[in-house]
Amino acid sequence: MTEQLMQDATFVLPGILIPLFPLIGFVINGVFGKYIPKSVSGWIATLAIFASFVVAVSVFSKLNATDSITIELFDWIAFSNMQIGFSFLLDSLTMVMLLVITGIGFLIHLYSIGYMHDDEASTRFFTYLNLFIFFMLLLVMGSNYLVMFIGWEGVGLCSYLLIGFWFKNDAYNNAAKKAFVMNRIGDLGFLLGMFFILFNFGTLEYDAVAQQASAFAPNSMLIVSITLLLFVGAMGKSAQLPLYTWLPDAMAGPTPVSALIHAATMVTAGIYMVVRSNVLFALAPHTLDVILWVGVATSVFAAVIGLMQNDIKKVLAYSTVSQLGLMFAALGLGAFASGMFHVVTHAFFKACLFLGSGSVIHALHGEQDIRKMGGLKKLIPITYITFIIASFAISGFPLLSGFFSKDEILAHAFEQNKLVWTILSISSMITAFYMFRLVYLTFYGNFRGTDETKKHIHESPLTITIPLIILCILSVFGGLLGLPSVFHVSHLFADYLAAVTDPSKAFLHAHEKVSHMTEIVLMSFAGLAAIVSIYYAYTKYVKKGEQPADEASLTGLQKWISNKFYVDELYDKIIVKPMLILSDLFLVLVDKLIIDLSVNAVAWFVGLTGRATRLLQTGNTGFYIFAMVLSMVVLFVIRLLA
Amino acid sequence: MNTLIYTSCLGLFCLLAEILNLRKLLVPLVVLGITVIFGVNYMEWNQGGSFYNDMLRIDHFSVAFSALVLLVGMLILVLTADYYKNEIHHISDYLAILIFTLCGALIMLSFSNMAMLFLGIEILSISLYIMAGSKRFETKSNEAGFKYFLMGAFASGFLLFGIALIYGVTNSFHLEKIGMYIMNHDATTISPLFYIGMMLMLVAMLFKVAAAPFHFWSPDVYEGSPALITAFMSTLVKIAAFGALYRLFATCFVGTLSYATQTLSIVSVASLAIGNFTALHQTNFKRLMAYSGISHAGYLLLAIIALYANTASALFYYSAGYAFATIGAFAVAIPVFHSMQNEGMDAFNGLGKKNPLLAALLTMSMLSLAGIPPFAGFLGKYYIFSKAIAAGHVALTLIAVIASMIGAYYYLKVVLAMYTKDSNDKTIEASPLYIMVAVFCVAMSLVLGLFPNMLMGLI
Repeated sequence: MTEQLMQDATFVLPGILIPLFPLIGFVINGVFGKYIPKSVSGWIATLAIFASFVVAVSVFSKLNATDSITIELFDWIAFSNMQIGFSFLLDSLTMVMLLVITGIGFLIHLYSIGYMHDDEASTRFFTYLNLFIFFMLLLVMGSNYLVMFIGWEGVGLCSYLLIGFWFKNDAYNNAAKKAFVMNRIGDLGFLLGMFFILFNFGTLEYDAVAQQASAFAPNSMLIVSITLLLFVGAMGKSAQLPLYTWLPDAMAGPTPVSALIHAATMVTAGIYMVVRSNVLFALAPHTLDVILWVGVATSVFAAVIGLMQNDIKKVLAYSTVSQLGLMFAALGLGAFASGMFHVVTHAFFKACLFLGSGSVIHALHGEQDIRKMGGLKKLIPITYITFIIASFAISGFPLLSGFFSKDEILAHAFEQNKLVWTILSISSMITAFYMFRLVYLTFYGNFRGTDETKKHIHESPLTITIPLIILCILSVFGGLLGLPSVFHVSHLFADYLAAVTDPSKAFLHAHEKVSHMTEIVLMSFAGLAAIVSIYYAYTKYVKKGEQPADEASLTGLQKWISNKFYVDELYDKIIVKPMLILSDLFLVLVDKLIIDLSVNAVAWFVGLTGRATRLLQTGNTGFYIFAMVLSMVVLFVIRLLA
Repeated sequence: MNTLIYTSCLGLFCLLAEILNLRKLLVPLVVLGITVIFGVNYMEWNQGGSFYNDMLRIDHFSVAFSALVLLVGMLILVLTADYYKNEIHHISDYLAILIFTLCGALIMLSFSNMAMLFLGIEILSISLYIMAGSKRFETKSNEAGFKYFLMGAFASGFLLFGIALIYGVTNSFHLEKIGMYIMNHDATTISPLFYIGMMLMLVAMLFKVAAAPFHFWSPDVYEGSPALITAFMSTLVKIAAFGALYRLFATCFVGTLSYATQTLSIVSVASLAIGNFTALHQTNFKRLMAYSGISHAGYLLLAIIALYANTASALFYYSAGYAFATIGAFAVAIPVFHSMQNEGMDAFNGLGKKNPLLAALLTMSMLSLAGIPPFAGFLGKYYIFSKAIAAGHVALTLIAVIASMIGAYYYLKVVLAMYTKDSNDKTIEASPLYIMVAVFCVAMSLVLGLFPNMLMGLI
């Protein structure tokens, strides 16, 4: 016991320092930004994250995978029988997220120094970015749902601020609002889930909740409701059907934001939340089924839309939605560790892809339409190499990181449900195809923009290329963290997370592990499928040199896909329009007629009374004393009569 | 006990300083002295006991409230350095009187004998009569001092008469013995004279806390007094008098609380109504604060009414929140009045542009007074209201909630004036001392609001 406490004490300071550094960076740039030269503010922000990263690594080296250390900072809310502390939890799951957030966060900050160099408001940008990291760290470090919720709301706020970073453009502001509103819908689910937990279990601490929930039978009404509500929250934040439409629009933000917030970290918060509550979810197989099918549907739906997009960032955005769907499918299968594994590898290659697309956009001075690109291979070689390698990784090209993490999820799907496996395989093939459509249209063939632009194309500075190279290396080797059992080595990643994910195993149906032979067949199939898709894209866009057709000339299904199945228009018709009509109605009927009138009447009455009581204050001492004695007599009389 | 002795000595020291010609050093020395006394008071937390033949009794309640009173005193004394810088030849008198006021308050918080209660109230009051009139060449100040004195003397008469009647019935001045008398009789056999005595004392105490309808003195006196003294009165007197009232009812009249409940309820509602309604139309900031103080007395009375629900902590927390918010507001208002040569609400026009820091500090103080989270004012109301509901006074609490909604209006009027109205371009300067005190008060409002457990459950 004392040993445990001693050990805990060594983690208190680092545990506080990790979120503190970004907060300090935020305060410095936010409060004193005016007095700091623009070029310095970026470095301050970057250093703050680097410091957090170093501390996180040192904690990682000291923390055993089985440790679960709670750092109690202070009692936060204490009412009669409800105690909610502001405390942090350090365990393997938190550690994984910490390393991803601070590590990739640092690289993206570094990248932003180069990328935002010419922006006049770059100090504000770094202020928000630091604040985002701070909230993201709170989200993953909290030891109860409420601290997670603060982080959850905080990152939502930062996401809003950063999507609308260039607030002079109204379309960007609308995108920011859309993201915020959609997230609110999800947050409502999360909040209600939290209320349910608090009301029934009397606590919000993860371990206490899990412990109390274990007493319930699987699929009990309560647990299913709680998990469904929590999942609604996850749907909003992690852009799942039907709440995904904000994420593609969120690409309005500067590209580093897309990489950090809308690909690598914030959008995976939903996955983190489900994994963190894995015991609850394992106790609700019905919810897991919902998650599985929402994930599968999102994965294939977004992939199909990705086929016909012509904005380099939109393609990546739909790819993110699709990959998140894949992760949720893994969670739905009860493969929590596999889901997390894909979170990590996805963070590597998707950050690399987004930063690469940023580098392309940077080189082309803001051009995002792939129809106006082409032939950039030789002009920006580092960007090209890193981008294509990351594309191989996301496509599941054999032995790269995405291959292993995807394969693991597909293997779980094959064990449990062949239909799921089939759909996910198709979705993976589509992914490989549209990713290489993007690569070939951007980097191969001839340049399709103006000559004027072509003259100015140049490779990006070191602050941009170094993060690209590091992320590219991680995308290649990241898969080694979790090799399948065919290789007869232990799955480092799953073993590390075991302490967090094991408690739920007792409640999940055991499935027979696929044999090594099957595993090899599945892997070969997946690898082959990826290669075939890539080759198909190659013949179509390089050999035949096809170009995406003009949107106006599309017909039939292609037109539907290109217009994203008209989901935005549908939402507009069935939700936004009726809402506006309803709100007009309320404005006239309820607000103007009932509320305004009654409130004004009350105010009028109050004001009148005030004027009357003021008259009592005559300033005459004699009257005052008389009034005092009189009131005393009146009080006495009332008392005697009562 | 040592707290009281040292504070008295500090007051005497101020008088001596006049002879020793220490005027310029006096304020720092006195602040240092109060700081030391604050420490001494802290040391008494676990000692306690009764003193002078059980005339005074030191317990957790008295130590906690004494600490608050000392802190309030310290903040005001810090400001005297700047406020009285043009009257340096009187400074030792003023400081001595202010410190004696503190002595009176300390006695009121630790008495266990009616004689001590009277003594405490008189020491406190007489000092304040003088301070209220301390701007000798201003007729308003003279008027304030004199009015306060006249009416205060009247209230003292009630108090003494009440004590005398109770003595006549129980043969004792001692709180516990009087309490024993109540215990040994049931409601019907207690002499009517006792009830009359208790009610007379109650009226006197309600006068001191400026509860309606015994509030008439407070707007006039607050307006006429020097602003710093107004700040002192509105916090110190209220805290000390409520401490004394609680002590009186908790240790002595606890058995007859039900008899006074009706009167207390009426007074509470009247205070809430008159305080909040009348405040709406005030154009003078000090009068506004007077009515605000009257309405806060109404909220605090709930803590006395709900005494059985053990409200000492809630009362303490609320008093602290109220004190910090009020002093914070005055620490901003005084330099503004000084620069603008105007004590009306329009003095604040455009402050948001002219001096954003002062405006922000005043805004936060006002929000705390209005009871808006995350400031202490919010949780203070919350604790008192929840205790009142726990004690079964639902209707009363409901009225208090509605009153606090109306109250938000006039507090926000000040904020509105600062940020939306234009004004002439007189610059507003505040000496660092005012800013320091205001920042400290606002910080305390915030800290207490975020970590209420620092004070809740202390007593």
